[in-house]
Amino acid sequence: MNGLATVTRGGLLALLAVLSAAPAQPAEQKDPAAAAAPAARPGPPSPPPPLTLSARPSAKGGERLYVQYCGMCHGKGGMGTGLLARRTDRPLLEERNDLTVDYVIQAARTGIGNMPPIPRGEVSDADIKQIAAYLTTPKARGGR
Amino acid sequence: MPLSSYSIPPERLAAARRSFAAIVGAQNLFFDAEDQDSYSDAFAVDDSRHRPAGAIAPDTVEQIQAIVRVAAEHRIPLWPISRGKNLGYGGSAPVLEGSVILDLSRMKKIEYDEENGTVLLEPGVGFYDLYDFLKARGLKHWLSTPGNSWGSVIGNALDRGVGYTPYGEHTTKLCGMEVVLADGTLVRTGMGALTGSPTWQLYRFGFGPAWDQMFVQSNLGIVTKAGLWLMPEPESLMGMDLEFDRPEDLGPLIDAIAPLRREGVLQQSPTIGNWLRAAAILTTRAEWTDQKGALSDTVIAAIRKKFQMGWWGVSLRLYGRETINREAYSILESEMNKLKPLSMKRTSWKRGDPLEMTGWTGTPLTFPMQNANWHGGLGGHIGFSPVLPQSGTAAMEQFRRTYQRYQEFGMDYQASFAFGERHLINVNAILLDKDDPDMMRRVDPFIRTLVADAKAHGYGEYRTHLDYMDLVASTYDFNGGALGKLNAKVKAALDPFGIIAPGKSGIGTAAGQSGDR
Repeated sequence: MNGLATVTRGGLLALLAVLSAAPAQPAEQKDPAAAAAPAARPGPPSPPPPLTLSARPSAKGGERLYVQYCGMCHGKGGMGTGLLARRTDRPLLEERNDLTVDYVIQAARTGIGNMPPIPRGEVSDADIKQIAAYLTTPKARGGR
Repeated sequence: MPLSSYSIPPERLAAARRSFAAIVGAQNLFFDAEDQDSYSDAFAVDDSRHRPAGAIAPDTVEQIQAIVRVAAEHRIPLWPISRGKNLGYGGSAPVLEGSVILDLSRMKKIEYDEENGTVLLEPGVGFYDLYDFLKARGLKHWLSTPGNSWGSVIGNALDRGVGYTPYGEHTTKLCGMEVVLADGTLVRTGMGALTGSPTWQLYRFGFGPAWDQMFVQSNLGIVTKAGLWLMPEPESLMGMDLEFDRPEDLGPLIDAIAPLRREGVLQQSPTIGNWLRAAAILTTRAEWTDQKGALSDTVIAAIRKKFQMGWWGVSLRLYGRETINREAYSILESEMNKLKPLSMKRTSWKRGDPLEMTGWTGTPLTFPMQNANWHGGLGGHIGFSPVLPQSGTAAMEQFRRTYQRYQEFGMDYQASFAFGERHLINVNAILLDKDDPDMMRRVDPFIRTLVADAKAHGYGEYRTHLDYMDLVASTYDFNGGALGKLNAKVKAALDPFGIIAPGKSGIGTAAGQSGDR
């Protein structure tokens, strides 16, 4: 469990929903039993779903590689997005317009802040170049 | 004396690299300084330790067989990783500095038996990969995911990681393996030993001795495939998120949950976490105080108030048929109400409703790792996780003892008590501030003290960081360390040159690296 845990506490989920600007899903609070509960309070919205390829079936090339290798942390609700939201008002890399190819490659290969380095055995030099190109082309901007 | 580093003679490494390149192609050999950095432990307490010589990334079983033969010939220690995201326990780094990382992250094949609810996975398949694979097929089976789901599904099960659904004890859901031994032999365990058997992923034990757990937290072979059972999508999910106000609420809470878990009313593995486990993800320390040392009660109260947190929180979930869940829910609610929780938030889901995207539904997550930023700068965490009996008294004593040590060493207490069927694991994540050298110097003596305290009460850890594998192994000391001697004997028989992960779990640190090298 890596010393971590799934945290479902109200404040966290509410905060995540704000960070990720996800559309609020209906809170799940149907009464499962008739018994009265103490201090039941309204449930927060669920965090956004993970960014994986089935959510972007038409993604190709650099976008596909980005979703596959970076989506877990840099999608809405991911660790990278959560930490970047503390430093910038555009935490989603796909919405940034100030990234350069060299910067993306350098950040991924050496790690940056609390992001560990991504080794070449995991993402090849050719693939990382395509990802960097995707993140720095105009068509990638404008928000997803 | 165990070796902690090993410098492969340059001419021997050069010869091995030529042979490795012939096997995997030069483009899959990574021996630059930047590669050595990228395969080191990003959460290390001491960055100078556990640096590898480089890495090789095969993508077939045959390549792995050829690699171990070359490694044996040239006496090259290999450190196999599945995806290398075991953060808090060493990441992708080896115990023995100078080892060559065997990076299996390119091996991503998934075989799915939808009818029986099993998968056969290669080591590079991550939780997100498997989630995506199942989601594209309608999520008829759910995963069980750990708090950091960046890593490998079978890598996690092989290190005895846990999740939070009824399938949360991952290592017990493994069913059948394919393993490359140090001499290159390929073995299949359980029913996989019977050529062409359709029951490899259905019956765990095979005939005669069952070896699967021999390859778990071990260095006796390289697992190249493993079967895993998946939970069928339930008809209904019900439960509650509870907060409790006082530190002393822990004991009664454990004594209330434990019989429900043993009886089977509750089939998942709840984990009781303290306020900081949640807060360290949401905020940074500097927003609350600039005082060094353990947080004061005033600061703790302010953080709890802001985020409406109890001192402890726990989530309970019921999985399965709706009629059964309703009855079980009434029992849970009645038992929890007796404890007078600070709050109880009910949750109920039926197939077809929007799903809560949490670990309780096996959704992969990375945001819990935001706790690496608790201290504001370069951070990380390291685990201390002793196994306890399922007793409120024992847990309270462990909590008080450990909390006192956190105060003494000036650390912020982040902990949880995670249920198994008969045991509790007290997971402590020690949140590191790598920008504070004074704090970093206290980490090692702090952990050694915690291990000694636990040992004095007959407790040992279920899993540990690279730095403490020998130490933790030494606490398993019955009859002069007979278990460790057995491990060493088996290691010497299977891997006489000590080429597979020397030092893993305290095995093979001395034998294979002496003399011949």
